[in-house]
Amino acid sequence: MTTAAAKFRVCPTTKLRVHAQADALIKANAVVATVALLIGGLAAILVLLTRWQAVHLLGAEMFYRVLTIHGMNMLIFFILFFEMAVLYFAGPVLLNSRVPAPKIAWTGFVLMVLGTLMVEWTMFTGRADVLFTSYVPLRAHPLFYLGVILFAVGAVLAVCIFFASLVVARRERTYEGSVPLVTFGALTAAIIAAITLVHGAAIYIPTFLWSLDLMPMDAQVYRLVWWGLGHSSQQINVAAMVSVWYLLGALTVGAVVLNEKVSRIAFVLYVLFISMASAHHLLVDPGMGPAWKVWNTSYFMYMAVLASMIHGFTVPGGIEIGMRLRGYTKGLFEWLRRAPWGDPGFSSLIFSIVVFGFVGGITGVTFGTEQINIIAHNTLRIPGHFHATVVSGTAMAFMGVTYYVIPLIFRKKVAFWPLARIQPYLFAGGMLIFSITMTFAGTFGVPRRHWDITFSGAPFTLEFSPAVDLVMGMMALGGLMAALGGGIYILVTVWSVFFGEKMEGGDDGERAAPRAPESASAAV
Amino acid sequence: MHTGLEPPRGVWWKPIHRSEKIWIALAFAWCMVLFAMMPFWHLRGGQNPSGIRHRVDPQAFLARAQEFTANYQVGEDNGFPVVEPPPGSDIYLVGRMWNWSPVLRLRRGVEYTLHLSSLDVNHGFSLYPLNINIQVVPGYDYGLRVTPGEAGDFRLVCNEFCGINHHTMVGRIIVVDDGAPVVGLVPDGEVSATRTAAANAGGRP
Amino acid sequence: MASGLPPGLLNPPRPLSEAEKAAGDDTDAGGLGSVPGTMILVLVFFAAFIAYYFVNWKLLSFLWKIG
Repeated sequence: MTTAAAKFRVCPTTKLRVHAQADALIKANAVVATVALLIGGLAAILVLLTRWQAVHLLGAEMFYRVLTIHGMNMLIFFILFFEMAVLYFAGPVLLNSRVPAPKIAWTGFVLMVLGTLMVEWTMFTGRADVLFTSYVPLRAHPLFYLGVILFAVGAVLAVCIFFASLVVARRERTYEGSVPLVTFGALTAAIIAAITLVHGAAIYIPTFLWSLDLMPMDAQVYRLVWWGLGHSSQQINVAAMVSVWYLLGALTVGAVVLNEKVSRIAFVLYVLFISMASAHHLLVDPGMGPAWKVWNTSYFMYMAVLASMIHGFTVPGGIEIGMRLRGYTKGLFEWLRRAPWGDPGFSSLIFSIVVFGFVGGITGVTFGTEQINIIAHNTLRIPGHFHATVVSGTAMAFMGVTYYVIPLIFRKKVAFWPLARIQPYLFAGGMLIFSITMTFAGTFGVPRRHWDITFSGAPFTLEFSPAVDLVMGMMALGGLMAALGGGIYILVTVWSVFFGEKMEGGDDGERAAPRAPESASAAV
Repeated sequence: MHTGLEPPRGVWWKPIHRSEKIWIALAFAWCMVLFAMMPFWHLRGGQNPSGIRHRVDPQAFLARAQEFTANYQVGEDNGFPVVEPPPGSDIYLVGRMWNWSPVLRLRRGVEYTLHLSSLDVNHGFSLYPLNINIQVVPGYDYGLRVTPGEAGDFRLVCNEFCGINHHTMVGRIIVVDDGAPVVGLVPDGEVSATRTAAANAGGRP
Repeated sequence: MASGLPPGLLNPPRPLSEAEKAAGDDTDAGGLGSVPGTMILVLVFFAAFIAYYFVNWKLLSFLWKIG
């Protein structure tokens, strides 16, 4: 039962009953996510201007340090804080329910922030020049590993609160029927997060002890277990992104769900097949044999790829039917041509789907083939692939949904609206150029995570074809365009949240009103 | 029909649209093709990262590599021993911060078992310009059976971050056509016929 | 610079009538089915996938024999 002090407001737009704690937790997580994005984004610009040999901005030591800062801030801090915000939205808010045990929820948040600060300190002071993967025997200061552990514990708490909120909402009958598809998708993301965080504990706790010289650590075992965390964390991002696709489709064009059964089974496939799929990071490693490699990449291919291909149909299909039912039936593509391309939520959605699928998905499955991996591993083809998936895919979708979160949760208008409208075009366009050119450079053998591809100081000379310099230059320009898009996103969101125009039409606050079962009506 | 934001009412376990079924069937068939390609390539294809794999103590690996170098050295290049091993033999390449050693001189069309390992941290074997990429892990001996397909003067880049001088870690592998005269080498690219393998049989450690 | 609100909030998608919802539930009519545009897009995607995948096997085949 709700406590007497439970405070809700009724959203004038969606008619959802929003718990004050849910509002606060979404805001807190979204703000910290944006700070991490800013740090990671500045680091991205510095890395890019160094890999562009014509500029070669940073020295070797700083390059690897800043690259570590870029990886950790983007792939761990930005994305996971944002996903916590998504969970608080998809759980308590979408289900009209309260956040159970707010003290634990806030403890989780605080632990995540403390862990982040600890890791940032070790990185910025040069005590953790080990890159995002921190492959043993490269060694960081013990507080680097401890910071990650604290962050993970905080995230586990938040994930548990999400699970609890689903139980509470069901028990208190705050909605009728099954949970909405967006909530179901978020649930699968949360389950994968729980699995990921268990892998994280399994690797960072022993590695923390190793960094204190308290136990040995085998380099191959580290890679094996770390990628159990590393790949699974990407599957959280995929599941969260797809949930946001359904959310944005509904908000922008009233997209329908073609078939609940199909979409839900596709989400469940993500859960079942991610952990062992991590094998595709280890295809040219000496510690495992071909049978292990083929089995694990195949049953990943069977199922997780199938799931993505299914969503790749149902999300656009849902948009198409949603538009056709509203009268856009002329020819094959009127539903797309006359869709609201000026709505940054919509343009982000489409770019996210297209670049994730065409560039990220295709390259990922291809490179994740045991033998083809030989011509891809550790070349620029790999970051070319994952910038198309997690940046042009997940981050783009998250940016798009922010333009709705600002009015719906922060109750502010979106500042610099003309800039907001073009932001997705800049970001996605820049990232598309960046990913494709980077992948192309990798086919020439250009290494990833490398400070100087003129190899100055090496005993033997190696000169890449002049085409490589051209492609790397284009990569840098694409990256700068994307960075501009990212910068506009940060400007718009920070300004809106802190200095933006308040929304009119008050929230109808309620205090502990008796609650009749209410359905969450569609955002209209 | 409802959106992803609405809780579906009643029974939502409904029949699937025909076009959706077609797509799922196509996607599933494609996944079967993806699966089948890997075992197929093991049976009929020429490039598989299978190898003969063992755990190995780094110092033991180094000792084997040094013995190998001593037995088959034919010259020196930029301070690195140049080694020309017999066809079909086990050959050794050591990765360490921050170099690859020795310089290998191989014959086209001949199979060797190339043992890769590291003495310290992870390194990345990346053969340029072929773009052959293999992970080199300390404590593990990755014995890949390789048959050089063409003659050439190849470079070996390290593509796994291994510290501040990672970018200086460039090695060299030379492949000659069968029957080419054995030559000694002077720095980086210049070759001169100075001595034969027989004259070198005594070897330099 | 002016602030604004996304069209999905200012001018939300028209709610569907019960008849329209039922029409949507009807499974496919026509050659390409109920979502012809999407069908074409995914088939283009599929073609790109097949092409990229097999081009890479071809590239791999140019390498030394490794096993």
